[in-house]
Amino acid sequence: MSVSAKKEERAAPTSTSPPCFLITTIGGRYLAFEAQLIQGVLANEGVEFLQSPVVQGVLYRAMNLAGRLQLPAERLRERIDVVLLAHEQSRCSVQVQKVHGILEIQRSQVLPLPAQFRGPERRWYRGLILFNCSVALVLNTSWVIEEQIEGGGASVEPLAGESIVALQGAIQSKSPTC
Amino acid sequence: MLRTTGNSRHHGMPRSWHVMVFSVGGRRLAVKTLEVGDIGQWGESIPVPGRTPFVTAVIRRNQTVLPVFDLAAVLCRTIQGNSPLCLRVKHALGDMVICIDEKIPVLQTLDHSVIQAYRGTDVPAEGSYANGEEEIPILSVSRLGMGSW
Repeated sequence: MSVSAKKEERAAPTSTSPPCFLITTIGGRYLAFEAQLIQGVLANEGVEFLQSPVVQGVLYRAMNLAGRLQLPAERLRERIDVVLLAHEQSRCSVQVQKVHGILEIQRSQVLPLPAQFRGPERRWYRGLILFNCSVALVLNTSWVIEEQIEGGGASVEPLAGESIVALQGAIQSKSPTC
Repeated sequence: MLRTTGNSRHHGMPRSWHVMVFSVGGRRLAVKTLEVGDIGQWGESIPVPGRTPFVTAVIRRNQTVLPVFDLAAVLCRTIQGNSPLCLRVKHALGDMVICIDEKIPVLQTLDHSVIQAYRGTDVPAEGSYANGEEEIPILSVSRLGMGSW
């Protein structure tokens, strides 16, 4: 179980492919995104993302995931990473503290959320992954994007921020695979 | 890590309860020994954002992840000592852990006749027993984290 930054595009995942997750830190917590729903990661230095990024003419509405999860507020940093997510027709972007890389594991290694968690968080997470002597929470991308779906979907009007956007690394492909 | 005290009887006596007495924020509580998994040093807990009352974190033990039940929060107390202990209990939904005071827990055997209904409402209890002026609840582990009690 190792983390590696993917540099090359590979074949599309199949139902038998081991699941891949992008491991990030948000609000001091390890949070994992399902890699197949990631459109890319934006990296920017020295400038705070104040608005929803537009990539190749497509708007990724900014989602305040830290706020929804009531995670500690992040202090301003020199480097900002933004994960671009897409699920069906909806898209959103999530600002993260750090991107650790992509983790490829066996399905059996995605542990269920313990049954003692009985609240709405059961919809927020798909499970748990052992990571770095700790645990990463696997986010339910549908839930992450849900707020946007309820809001009527994303506009594709480009914003002025497009020029500062740059796709990063190998998970920039539209359908990143492992 | 455990020591025995009190009126120990031979295991298997039908009219006795074997309990382990521990402390949370100085408050003494008991749990049936059959519902105790193990006890060790408390490690770092990993917060899990959510809305389940008193279940807001997990701990990792090697390849196992266990939910944390925050009994100190239930009791509105603060764990005492610099080296708190981790009490693992057997719950119907799966084992979970409780952070308890560093004071070493004590095993006791209680005669059934000394067990009474618990008069408090702060924790779910199968009963209680008197220790001097103190009423010590015997936790109902199966009801921990299962809503109001």
